[in-house]
Amino acid sequence: MVDVQLSDAEKVFILHGVQDNCREDGRGCEDYRHLEIETSVMSNTNGSARVRLANTDILVGVKAELGTPSPEKLNKGRIEFFVDCSANATPEFEGRGGEDLATDISNMLYRAYDCPNCFDLQQLCVIPDQQCWILYVDILLLECGGNLFDATSLAVKAALFNTSIPTVTVTKDEGVVDLEISDDPYDVQRLDMKSSPCIVTLSKVGHSHVVDASQKEECCTLARLIMGVTEKGTITALKKEGSGSLDPTSIEDMMETGRRVGESLNKCLMDALAEEERQGTKKKSLGFLR
Amino acid sequence: MAGLELLSDQGFRIDGRRPHELRKIQCRLGVFNQADGSAYIEQGNTKVLAAVYGPHEIRGSRSKVLHDKVLVNCQYSMATFSTGERKRRPRGDRKSQEMTMHLQQTFDAAIQTSLYPRSQIDIFVEVLQSDGGNYCASVNASTLALIDAGIALRDYVCACSSSFVNDTPLTDINYLEESSGSPEIIAATLPKSEQIVFLEMNGRLHEDNLSRVTDMAVKGCKDIHDILDQVVRDHVSEVSTVHGWEN
Amino acid sequence: MIITHLNLGILLTRIWRSMVDVRIAGARSSTKPNVSAEISNLVTPGDVITADTGFMRGHGTYMEDEKLYASVAGVVERVNKLICVKPLKTRYNGEIGDVVIGRILEVGTRRWKVDTHAKLDSVLMLSSVNLPGGELRRRSEEDEKMMRHYLKEGDLISAEVQSLFSDGALSLHTRSLKYGKLSQGQLVSISPSLIKRRKTHFHNLPCGASIILGNNGYVWICPTINEEVEQTGGYEQNLEPIQKSDREVIARLRNCVLALAEHKMMLYDTSVLYTFEASLRYSVKETVKPEVMADIIEVAQQRLEREGT
Repeated sequence: MVDVQLSDAEKVFILHGVQDNCREDGRGCEDYRHLEIETSVMSNTNGSARVRLANTDILVGVKAELGTPSPEKLNKGRIEFFVDCSANATPEFEGRGGEDLATDISNMLYRAYDCPNCFDLQQLCVIPDQQCWILYVDILLLECGGNLFDATSLAVKAALFNTSIPTVTVTKDEGVVDLEISDDPYDVQRLDMKSSPCIVTLSKVGHSHVVDASQKEECCTLARLIMGVTEKGTITALKKEGSGSLDPTSIEDMMETGRRVGESLNKCLMDALAEEERQGTKKKSLGFLR
Repeated sequence: MAGLELLSDQGFRIDGRRPHELRKIQCRLGVFNQADGSAYIEQGNTKVLAAVYGPHEIRGSRSKVLHDKVLVNCQYSMATFSTGERKRRPRGDRKSQEMTMHLQQTFDAAIQTSLYPRSQIDIFVEVLQSDGGNYCASVNASTLALIDAGIALRDYVCACSSSFVNDTPLTDINYLEESSGSPEIIAATLPKSEQIVFLEMNGRLHEDNLSRVTDMAVKGCKDIHDILDQVVRDHVSEVSTVHGWEN
Repeated sequence: MIITHLNLGILLTRIWRSMVDVRIAGARSSTKPNVSAEISNLVTPGDVITADTGFMRGHGTYMEDEKLYASVAGVVERVNKLICVKPLKTRYNGEIGDVVIGRILEVGTRRWKVDTHAKLDSVLMLSSVNLPGGELRRRSEEDEKMMRHYLKEGDLISAEVQSLFSDGALSLHTRSLKYGKLSQGQLVSISPSLIKRRKTHFHNLPCGASIILGNNGYVWICPTINEEVEQTGGYEQNLEPIQKSDREVIARLRNCVLALAEHKMMLYDTSVLYTFEASLRYSVKETVKPEVMADIIEVAQQRLEREGT
């Protein structure tokens, strides 16, 4: 984890602040920081998105490739998550420095998306048993300002929402199967994203728990609960992390908060994405040019 | 690449440019807050982010400390989605290690290294989208990031590539032109003093044409310098007016 | 029963919706102002400042072939015969007498290593601190063993730059009761060039909090320091909970400091205070939103131009 060091007095200050429901920037325990989102930022991908949550900056590119389905799921496609912690975010990530964190995040994404009702992998099937789409979801972490899991999952969901896969026409000619991939940029399929999850991290600070912890707050956290939540409030994944232990009742409390926050997080995200889509091509892509 | 005409009879290239024309350059300084300096550049469809950390105390091994100058440390990395075909890993392959070394040498020549003894400067480059001229865009982005970080440079470092097709030198070549098998020259220069700090040639080129093609690259560097310089001037003017520093 | 549940659900989403604010980047109003005219005396790396040999070479310049060149981008400053170029931002360049905030990185033999956002780690010698009790006395071997007890890794201190080593590293001292270990509060890190040099960098603001504007760009915001009672060098720390009202003032101040830095405004007591007062129209939470920030800054800027010093 990208750690900042704090003095004992600073930690006490943060701890009491959480107790008072007044965090370092005046937020309450269940408030998210300022969140900004943009899709279609990288033109050579099938879908892309950039999310900036306060100082946390995440760029996601999705590339669709045709491949063979895995033997146990013959009529389904696949999603592959890959996280890269760029050294731009912090010199600690240089070389292989960010790999542990990257594996943590991608594992959590696999877990959150590995749920039959939240993302229908059958829509990625081209020819059962033979050909399917594999979605490579590549995540680039560009700046760390705390709460990487949530921000990543939001960016992933936005990028998948933005993804369009070329239409494939299958023709069978005397047993020879012929695939024709349309190169018309408008002859594409969108993905059904309605029920895919967002990750909500609840950090236990003192006796209370907060969402969207900043780096300083993460430093005061002994245990946290990371969960995947869909728009309907279904919990698709759950993981407890950190060296501290949690009481079963407080886990229940945290799950309840997580579910509530996750529902509204999903909803706000989809609203924003729909709004962006409505504006359509009128808006100029900003990307990193502000 | 049969069937693909790199230079039409009318004198246009695949993307519609004239031989001496650069791709559109857009850039911005100060993209991130945490790094000491950062910059983003788009040269046509090639997009690069650079971040500079330092000068700071050398972390890790003490043996790396240089007592009379600063240690310049670089890392070149490409996003896995940056290329047409997905890359399997962002760095660590032979090509990016070579790029890392090239960047290190280039900036060792440009930074006033003796001003920061015993410390370290990190330059991290991330290619977000690759369409030819990755090294050039990386150098240009790093220069801007170093300026943003207020690190003392002898001059800008600008890099540009050139090629040679149908007896005509082409400047700032894109991916298609790069992969066509025609020769390629990459030069990084200190434009004001007209010194070349990095030069590399790939492919086969007749000796007689070498100076013409090199001149084309060097000319490209000068043009890029003018564009970058204007962006830096605008940036400094804008920020210092708010500061109220001029009085 | 089912219906009541459903209603409750809708109600909840409505209440909770306000806490997540997802924006699309396209909605952000273009913050680029109309291109401001280029200011005079602006140079970029490699520019010739003067070919006149009668000048002295200062920071941000270098001499080659009897000409003076700029090595950074910024405005040329001339003091008599000395020419300097000051870049928009750099690491902290320490000067003797500066007030800085630092974080202890390492406890060594008779010295602490301190992070002050300078090019090299700064040094605080055991002989340059006031030991508990405050009285001047010889440092014993006992004190050497107790060093981690006085200041340990992660602790924050306020200090003054005492001298510079030959390689540019800073030597600090805390030999005055106003300096020393910091207790409860918040650290904000901004660019050192945004801190205006003033006679004093310690301020007890009338809004009910204290602020230390470190020359190194580290800003410390804490509950009001009671000068007579609490100046003990910070060895005794008050870890009692802080009142919520004070906490809100501190959070608001933090957001104001960040807003000033975001808009590249100079920080000093008046600018911070005016920004704070301009922000009172909004709740603390709202002050982190970009459009609110811009509004607050504009109001504060106008007031500074009208009546500021």
